[in-house]
Amino acid sequence: MKAKKLIPILLAAPLVVALAQSYFGPSELEAIKTGGKTYADVFLNQRPDQALCSIHRNRLPGDLLPKFLEEQRALIKYPQSGKLMGDWKKGGAIFNNLQKANCFSCHFGSPVHLGGDVGPSLEKYGLKRGQSEAVQRYTYEVIYNSWAYFPCTVMYRFGAQGLLTPEEIADVVAYLLDPESDFNTKPAVGSK
Amino acid sequence: MLLRSWWMVSVVFLLGLALAQGEVDPREEAKRQKQLLQHQAGGGATELIVEQGKELFNRKGPSGKTMAECDFGLGKGVLEGAAARLPRYFLDTNKVEDLDSRIVTCMTRVQGYRPDQVKRQEVVAIAFYIASFSTGKPIQVRLLFPQERELYALGEKLFYARSGARDIGCATCHVTYVGRRAGVLPYADVLGKDKSWTHWPAYRYSNDQIWTMQDRIRACYGNIGHPQPALYSLPILALELFMAYNNNGAVVEEWPAFVR
Repeated sequence: MKAKKLIPILLAAPLVVALAQSYFGPSELEAIKTGGKTYADVFLNQRPDQALCSIHRNRLPGDLLPKFLEEQRALIKYPQSGKLMGDWKKGGAIFNNLQKANCFSCHFGSPVHLGGDVGPSLEKYGLKRGQSEAVQRYTYEVIYNSWAYFPCTVMYRFGAQGLLTPEEIADVVAYLLDPESDFNTKPAVGSK
Repeated sequence: MLLRSWWMVSVVFLLGLALAQGEVDPREEAKRQKQLLQHQAGGGATELIVEQGKELFNRKGPSGKTMAECDFGLGKGVLEGAAARLPRYFLDTNKVEDLDSRIVTCMTRVQGYRPDQVKRQEVVAIAFYIASFSTGKPIQVRLLFPQERELYALGEKLFYARSGARDIGCATCHVTYVGRRAGVLPYADVLGKDKSWTHWPAYRYSNDQIWTMQDRIRACYGNIGHPQPALYSLPILALELFMAYNNNGAVVEEWPAFVR
């Protein structure tokens, strides 16, 4: 069953790659190869959506948006349990870890680290928005694949790029939304 | 050494504190602390490396020649303002070279060192020395030769590229979020008013390292978890040429610089 499902995907993959616009030409990729294998591989394997954002310098023309958003939405997967809010304590460890999700570097609101202002402030996120299913889903999906809401934004696509598992993302959602979470009970570093 | 690390801790703490209070312009605060550090360090670190570079420059290689026999773009042995005009295309190698790669060319082609005998720390020290002759000079980089134009185009594309697992791209922060903060300092406007091209080579106090722009670009990639391009490689040269050209006319405040 699994193998049967895979065959059409395997057949279609090269076709998609061939149809997609690539950003770097062959001679440019040759030049990039002088940077070493691990560096060059990142550009040789540039994804079609990354190429599109590169070509349009992060501002996609309107006529490309519907298809782009649809493709990004299709990448979103959910936890097996179906629960979009996990363990807020685990989520906090992920949120506040520079090597892991590094959320605090761009977003204000962490009670552990002084936040940046590249992204919007998330101060008392859960208290301001409540914990409705719609809020949970929106929060989960933005973290899973920011490009499904904000095409070509700087924010990492944590789930879509495999940086976090669906369960880890649910933990971060809990950290932001749970009224008991340190994020909502303790003052943000730098708050007045 | 211990004293120095305590200084670092207190400086990072002070900067954090100042930012947390939100009353100080982080750039001004960094500048103030830089002066403080320079005063504390006696300002000698940069001069020491320049002196080392001078000795290496005047050292005879296996061929019996010193680096004064090399052309850094303005003629044999002419150093005055030479670094401010790099990167550029060189006829003798048929390549676009920056200061680092031109030093390597000089050491291997003129002085007779084998490539494996060229030590990175020596190249950087020599770069410090040669760059010191460009303090006060305006950046003047041209796109005359097709090789220069091609490399510039590659640099521009790399600057705007999104790549890797974190969808990284230079412009995504250094154009879109200039002045915004992710970490301690705001993103520099590297193509515009911050004239970042003129900030390197520099002695970097926070990690006691001497860096050229090559090292800085590699660190940029490394800091955000993206694989780094090899030293002296075309992607580094391309990004340098792109940045330098966009900083044309900017006057070099101090080369080598002293950064936090």
